[in-house]
Amino acid sequence: MSLGLREILNKHNGILSGTSACPGCPENMAMRMLGMGLGKDTVLVVVAGCSSVIQGNAPYNAYNFPTVNVAFAAGPATASGLARAYRQKGKNVTVVVWAGDGGTADIGFASLSGAAERNENILYLCVDNEAYMNSGGQRSGSTPYGAITTTTPEGKKENKKNLPFLMIAHNVPYVATASVGYPHDYVEKLKKAKQIEGFKYIHVLTPDPYGWLFDPSKTVEVAKLAVQTCYWPLFEYQNGKLEISQESLHCLDKRTRRPIRDFLSIQGRFKRMNEKDVQLLESYIDQMWEKLKSML
Amino acid sequence: MIRKIISGNEAVALAVKLARVGVTGIYPITPQTTIIEKLAEMKASGEINTEIVRVESEHSAMAATFGAALAGIRSFTATASQGLLYMHEMIWWVAGSRTPVVMVVGTRAVGAPWNIWNEHTDFTSERDSGWLMAFASNPQEALDLTLQAFRISEDERVFLPMMVGMDGFILSHTKTNVIIPDQEDVDEYLPPRRQPYVIDPEDPVGMGNIFPPEEYMKLRQSIDLSIKNSEDVIRELGMEYNKKLNVLGDYSTLNVTYKLDDADYAVVVMGAWAGDTMEAIDKLRERGVKIGMLRIRYLRPWSEKEIRDALKDKKAVLVLDRSISMGRGGPLYVEIKSTISDIVPSIKGVVSGLGGVSVSKSDLLYLFEKFLQGIREDVLWYYPKEVGKIELRTPRDIE
Ligand code: SF4
Repeated sequence: MSLGLREILNKHNGILSGTSACPGCPENMAMRMLGMGLGKDTVLVVVAGCSSVIQGNAPYNAYNFPTVNVAFAAGPATASGLARAYRQKGKNVTVVVWAGDGGTADIGFASLSGAAERNENILYLCVDNEAYMNSGGQRSGSTPYGAITTTTPEGKKENKKNLPFLMIAHNVPYVATASVGYPHDYVEKLKKAKQIEGFKYIHVLTPDPYGWLFDPSKTVEVAKLAVQTCYWPLFEYQNGKLEISQESLHCLDKRTRRPIRDFLSIQGRFKRMNEKDVQLLESYIDQMWEKLKSML
Repeated sequence: MIRKIISGNEAVALAVKLARVGVTGIYPITPQTTIIEKLAEMKASGEINTEIVRVESEHSAMAATFGAALAGIRSFTATASQGLLYMHEMIWWVAGSRTPVVMVVGTRAVGAPWNIWNEHTDFTSERDSGWLMAFASNPQEALDLTLQAFRISEDERVFLPMMVGMDGFILSHTKTNVIIPDQEDVDEYLPPRRQPYVIDPEDPVGMGNIFPPEEYMKLRQSIDLSIKNSEDVIRELGMEYNKKLNVLGDYSTLNVTYKLDDADYAVVVMGAWAGDTMEAIDKLRERGVKIGMLRIRYLRPWSEKEIRDALKDKKAVLVLDRSISMGRGGPLYVEIKSTISDIVPSIKGVVSGLGGVSVSKSDLLYLFEKFLQGIREDVLWYYPKEVGKIELRTPRDIE
């Protein structure tokens, strides 16, 4: 690796051998990078989802952090309690909530919003594989328009809930997006977040070979395509300012965007989409970029 | 030690202060609200150093309290009614993690329809969760039991959360004389927090991930066993409380009896009804009726030994429930029946006082007289006033 990641990895590997993840699992990758970005003195709160399975069965645990598993909707509040307790004890610990898109956009949203509003000193990580993958791939609030899931076999008819925007609206100190296709960018964002006091939110796109229907060897490629086609913007929002990350700068001009079809055609879940559906998804992406530009 | 006229809720807030609680998850719900208001007030004036997490729901109140407890801090929360039900999932999560936590429940009816008044159904519906469950019968006991709850739940023979119930409004808002112990005495009684494990980077452990079936079942059994074993712990620590802090009550037993030793008939109650029951019993005693009372102070652990001992030679037992296990009578009635049905020939139940229905001393007297004459029903639904002719089947029928 030419990015200096190997060196960081040797310092603290977020994931150990023996995980129960599927081959090509993006969340496994995201957890490994979490170790790179945060190092020791980190405590994980994991809510229901693939992540509560990937770590393996007790007494083994493939996560190289002290880990608390909690009920689906309880992540941010449990983390709030932990963070307050460490503060009382005068301990410097980075408390991380690790949740999927269902835990974030749907069942856990009230708790997330509450912790953000209170500006709790925690880092919330949403690993977004855009459906309830652990229970077999049902639609979530974060599933994109047109995607086939087991509960939307005809393709989802609603747009993806834009969580990073919602978190920006909470006016917290730090909101960022990342993709497992760009580990350097993600790790840098983690490192930055670790230094900030108050509520931090990072939303990582984690393309799932099993729900998105692509070959497990292609996880990184799909994760990169999501960014290159501007489907998934990479940005940071800090101190009231938005900054588009290097890898997404080309998206600011529609003419330099890679066609969305390149992202749609590499996976099976969009195969029900017709011409009009593609246009609808595209206009959603256009609107998202207009909104981002207006915040610059 | 000072004497003060305060409400049950204020007494609980003072117990939380005296226990030096480090983190409190708070969310308002009637009739518990004045506990958390008092805590917030004490925090604002610098009287306590607790971290107060003002969460957005009861589910989060229990989660935040749990998180703080996991990190090794003594933590507390309070709730009632819908709030307790909303916490239900997290209540199980705390018990299954064997994490000491203390909660007070200002008992109240559960909707639908809305009803803010007292009954015990919210409390009794948590009896399978793995929490220890005590129930106070006056503000003094609310304070004493809250303090003891911290000590009991943090005892290594227990290591389970504990909730203390108290009748909503009747105890939570009524002011009476309460003796407040001195901080030094409480400090002596309550050693620094102990718990089975702490979530801390210095000693990294993973908790709550998937358990194989046999191990899961073993853990459930260990909780069951600890609840049973906690009986002796409660007596032992109760005696210590008597010695160090207590001037009024007696905490050397789980349950409390009144004029029961020589009695032929016994009434079983829980909570604030005990006061009126004792007065009604006095009236009957004046008339030469040999009747006494057993007050359940601990719903969990359920002291089969104490209860059987107390009721063994009685001719008949009447159980009063301010709670209903639908289709089975009151939960106390069901529990008592399963405990003594082989040694007491007649066990009857009364369900009353639901949703704040006021049952006075004279109502109780009437019920006891009826019981002595031998009521026909196994479980009688008792309405103190003449009830109108219209039978409600759905909420709409009230029109
Ligand atoms: S379903 Fe997807 S996210 Fe879940 S473990 Fe498998 S690859 Fe990873």
